[in-house]
Amino acid sequence: MSSIQLEVLLQTLISGILLGGLYALIGIGMTIIMGVMKIINLAHGELMMVAMYIAYVLFSAFHIDPYLSILVAAPALFLLGVAIQKFLINPVLRVEAIIPENQVILTVGIGMVLANLATIIFQSDYRQTPVPYATKAWYLRDYWKDSPVDISLSLPWTVSFTVALLITAGLWFFLTRTDTGKSIRATAQDLDAAQLMGVNVQRMRVITFGIGSALVGTAGCLFIPIYYIYPDIGGQFTLISFVITILGGLGSTVGAIIGGLILGIFESLTATYIGMGWAPVGRFMIFVAVLIFIPGGVASLLRSRKLGK
Amino acid sequence: MKHLAVAVSLLFLFGLFAAPVLAADAFDLVIPLPLTGKPAKFGEIMKRSYEIAAEEINAKGGVKGRKIALSFEDSTGKPEIARSIVEKLIDTKKQPIIVGEYTSSCAKAVAAIAEERKTPYLVVASADDDITQKNYKYVFRQNQVNAHYGDAVVSFLKEVVKPKTIAILYESSAFGTSGADAMEKDAAPMGAKVVVKEKFETGAIDFKPLLSKVKAAQPDVVYTVAYANEAQLIMKQAKELRIDMKLYAGGAAGFAIPEFIKGAQDAAEYVVSATLWTPQLKYPGAREFADKYKAKHGDYPSYHGASAYAALYVAADALNRAKDWTADAIRDALKATNLKTAYGPVKFEDKEGYQNQNFHETLAIQVQKGEFETIWPKSHASKPYVYPVPSWKDRK
Amino acid sequence: MKTYLPYITLTILAVLPLLGLSSYWMHIAILVIMWSVIGMAWNLLGGYCGQVSFGHAAFFGVGAYTAAMLYNKLHLSAWWGIPASVFVVALFALLLGYICLRLRGPYFALATLSIGVIMRITAENLVGLTNGDVGIQLDKRTWIDKTWYYYIILLMAVGAFVAVKKIIGSKLGYYFVAIREDQDAAESLGIDTTRYKTIALVISGVITGLAGAFYMNYMGYIDPKVVFALHDISIITIMVVMVGGAATSAGPVVGAVIMVLLAELIRSIPKLGTAHHTLFGVLLIVIIIFLPNGIVGDFSKIRNLFRTRKAAP
Repeated sequence: MSSIQLEVLLQTLISGILLGGLYALIGIGMTIIMGVMKIINLAHGELMMVAMYIAYVLFSAFHIDPYLSILVAAPALFLLGVAIQKFLINPVLRVEAIIPENQVILTVGIGMVLANLATIIFQSDYRQTPVPYATKAWYLRDYWKDSPVDISLSLPWTVSFTVALLITAGLWFFLTRTDTGKSIRATAQDLDAAQLMGVNVQRMRVITFGIGSALVGTAGCLFIPIYYIYPDIGGQFTLISFVITILGGLGSTVGAIIGGLILGIFESLTATYIGMGWAPVGRFMIFVAVLIFIPGGVASLLRSRKLGK
Repeated sequence: MKHLAVAVSLLFLFGLFAAPVLAADAFDLVIPLPLTGKPAKFGEIMKRSYEIAAEEINAKGGVKGRKIALSFEDSTGKPEIARSIVEKLIDTKKQPIIVGEYTSSCAKAVAAIAEERKTPYLVVASADDDITQKNYKYVFRQNQVNAHYGDAVVSFLKEVVKPKTIAILYESSAFGTSGADAMEKDAAPMGAKVVVKEKFETGAIDFKPLLSKVKAAQPDVVYTVAYANEAQLIMKQAKELRIDMKLYAGGAAGFAIPEFIKGAQDAAEYVVSATLWTPQLKYPGAREFADKYKAKHGDYPSYHGASAYAALYVAADALNRAKDWTADAIRDALKATNLKTAYGPVKFEDKEGYQNQNFHETLAIQVQKGEFETIWPKSHASKPYVYPVPSWKDRK
Repeated sequence: MKTYLPYITLTILAVLPLLGLSSYWMHIAILVIMWSVIGMAWNLLGGYCGQVSFGHAAFFGVGAYTAAMLYNKLHLSAWWGIPASVFVVALFALLLGYICLRLRGPYFALATLSIGVIMRITAENLVGLTNGDVGIQLDKRTWIDKTWYYYIILLMAVGAFVAVKKIIGSKLGYYFVAIREDQDAAESLGIDTTRYKTIALVISGVITGLAGAFYMNYMGYIDPKVVFALHDISIITIMVVMVGGAATSAGPVVGAVIMVLLAELIRSIPKLGTAHHTLFGVLLIVIIIFLPNGIVGDFSKIRNLFRTRKAAP
C-alpha cells in the first residue's frame, strides 16, 4: 500500500468516526423518546430545524456563537417538546384507536406546521452561521514535518464528536443514577409495572419527550457551523435518527453512540471504495439487517455480555 | 360562545376565499412556482424577480394597455400539482400563456400539458435537455440547455488551464447527471482524461471520503455539479483536507448563488463556476435590475432571478406583438422574438436537435475577494482571472 | 340507505365525465380516485391486517417503473405495464414480505420505510436500467382528453373496492382481523400468521403497483424522486387511510377526497400563499385528536356533535 493509499484509508476512517459522532448526536434524542413511548416521531428532524433557526437568529442578531446558543436552544426545545407531548401526543395516545400508529399523522402534521412556519418567518433562503472556525483543522504535517501521510482533523467536527460523547456519558449517568432517570427507564421497560410501582407515567413521558427534544436541539446547534439550514431540512435527519435508534437499540444511549460510529465508518468506507451514491443504500441495508437479525440493536449485544446499562 | 367562534372562523375562511378585487381590465397572470419544499429557495428568487418586472412593465403601460396582475401558485415541486395548476390556468382562467416552474420534473409535466392543450409555455430556468427536444411546438425555453451550461468554463479550461486530468463530481439529480455527462463529453476534445466520476446523494453531510478519493487520483481540475449548498460543503471540506488542485470548478446552481460565498467564506476564493448571467454584464437593464433586487431583498439575484425577470418582458413583448391572443398568434409572436433583455438577447431557434430554444452565451465567474467576478469570455470580463491559484497552505 | 351508498356513489362517479367537467376538475377527480385505490390497498394490509407499512411507495414505484421500462427498453406501449406490473409487483411483494413480515409493530413500519428509500436510491443508481435521475418520459400520452383515463382508474377503484370487500367478508378477512387484534392469540389458534400476512401484503402491493403503472401512463413522466417519494407517496398513503378511517370500506375514499381535493382547495386560496401547509397541517392535527379512528371510523362522533347542537338551541 502506497502512502497515498494509506492516507486515503486513514482519512476515511477519521471522517467516518467523526460522522458517526454527529449521527449519534442527532439520533440520541429519538432513541430516548422511542424507547419510552414506542412512537414513531416523524417531526424529529423538524425539532432540530427549530433549534438551528434559534442558533441562527442568535448568531445573526447578537453574534452569539452557535455553541453558546445551546444554552438557549436546549431549554427552548425542552419546553416545545413538553408542550407537544402534553397537549398533542398524550391526548391521542390516551384514546384507543384501531390502529395505534395513528399518532403518525399527528407528528407529520406537527412537522408540516413547524417547517411551514419557518418558511413564513425566514423564507426559504439557505442560511448559515459563518463562524471563523468553520473550516479550521489540525494537520499532522504541521506537527510532524516528515510524516509519510498527511491527515487532517476538523475543529467543528471534533467538537461535535466530543460533545456527543459527553452527552452520552451524562445521559447514562442521569438514567442510571437519578430517581427521575430510573423512573424513565422503568416506564420504558414495563409501563404497567411502573404505574403499579407508583411512577407517574404521564409525567415521565412528558419529561422524556422534553429531554429528547432538548437533545436534538443541542445537536442542531452543534451542527449548524458545519452545515446550513433551510425550512425543509428536517426530513433527512429524521431518517438518520431512525437508523441510529434501531442500530443502537431502543432507549440505549451507549448503543446510539456505538451504532453511530458503526454507521459512520461504514458509510465513509462505502463512499471511498464503492461510490458515494450507494452509501445511503448501505445505510438502509444495515438498518433492515439489524431489524431482522439483531432486533435489540447493539445494546442487546452489549447486554448479553453484561456490558449494557 | 361556541356559535361566536364558528361565526368568526367562517368569516375568516370567507375572507380568505374571496377573490382579490382587481381592476376590471387587468391581465391576470398566474405563475406556477415551488414556494415550499426543497426547491423553494429558487422559486422565491424567481418570484421576487417576476414582481420587479411586473411593476416596471405596468409602470410603462402594461401589455396592450392592460396592467399585469401577477399572482403565484405553489406547485410544491410535485409534477402532479404543477399539472393541476396549469390545467386550471388553461381551462378555468383561460390564461393565454404559461410562464414559470423551476424543477425539470415539473417543467416536463407542464410542457406536456401545454403542448397537448396548445397553449404557449415559456420555460424560465429548467435545464433538462429533454424539454426542448421533443418537437413541441408550443414550448419555448429562455435559459440555456444543461448540455451547454458549462461552455464558458470549458473554453476557459481549454485556453487557460489546459488540464490533463479531470475529476467530475455530481449530485444525484437530473440536473447533476446531465451536467456531469456534458462535461465528460467536453473533456476529450480538451485533451483531458476523466479520472474520477462520482455521484453523491443530495443532502449529504460528509464529502471527505469522496474528496480523499479525488486527492488520491490527483486530477488537475475538479468539476462539481451541485444544485444547492452541497457546493459550499464540498469547498469547505476540500479546504479542511488541503486538497490542492490547479483549479476548482463548478457547474452553476449551487456555485453561482450568493449563499455559496457566504457559507464557504475563504474556501470559496478562486473557485470558478459556470453561470448564465451576472449583474456585471453590460446588457441593458442588467445592473438596474440587480441593484433594485439587492435594495429590496439584500442580495444580488442569481441567474434564476434574471431569467425570470427577463421572461416576463419576453412574454409581455410577445403578447404586445401578437395580433390577437389566440394560442397560435402568441406562439408565432414568441417564435419571432428578438429582444434585448437584462438577461441578454433572446431569440428562439431550432438547431442541434432542439426546438424553440434560446441559445445564449454562458459565462464563467470566479470568486475574488469574496465577490463573484465575471472572468470569461473576455469580452464580458469584469476582472481578469486569477490563475494559477495559490495552494491552500499559502493562503492567508 | 347505507347498503346503497356505494352504488349511488358509483353511479354519480360514472356519469361525472358526461357533465362536461373542465379538464382541471377531471384531473383532480382522477387524482382523488387514484389515491383512493392506493388507500384501499394500504387499508387491506394496514387497516384490516394491522401491518402498518411506511413503504408503499416501493410498490407504487415498482409498478410505475415496470410500465416505464417496458416502454423505454422494449418499446411497448406503457399500458402493457398494467398487466405486467401485477406479476412484477407480486414477486417484489413476496420478497419484501419474506424480509419484513417477521417484524412487528413499529419495527415492521421502519423496515418498510427503509425498503422504500432503498428502492429510490437503487433506481437512482441503476442508470442503465432506469435512466437514473433523468427519469423516463413518454413521447406522447395516449389521449389528450381525460375521459378514458378517468374510466380506467375508476374501473381499478371499483375492482379494488370489490376485492377488498370480498376478502374482508371471507374467512381470509377474519384471519386478518384476528392477526391485527392479537397476533399471538391468532397463532395459538392455529392461524398461519406469516402466510396470511404475506397474502395481505401481496394483494395490497399489487393494487398499489397498478396505481403506479396507471400514474406512469397518466402523467407520462416519472423519476425516482417522484414515484419512490417517502413523504409524497408513502406517508400520504397512510394519511389517506387514517384520516378517512382505517378498517372501513369508505375510509380511503373519504381520505382521498380530503388529502387531494381539500388540499388542492386550501392550496389555491389566493391570500394564503405558502401558509397553506400550516393550515393543512393544523387540520390534520385537529382531525386526529378529535377523530382518532378517522372521519368514517368516528362518524358517530361527528353525528353526535350535530345532534347535541340541535338539541340545545
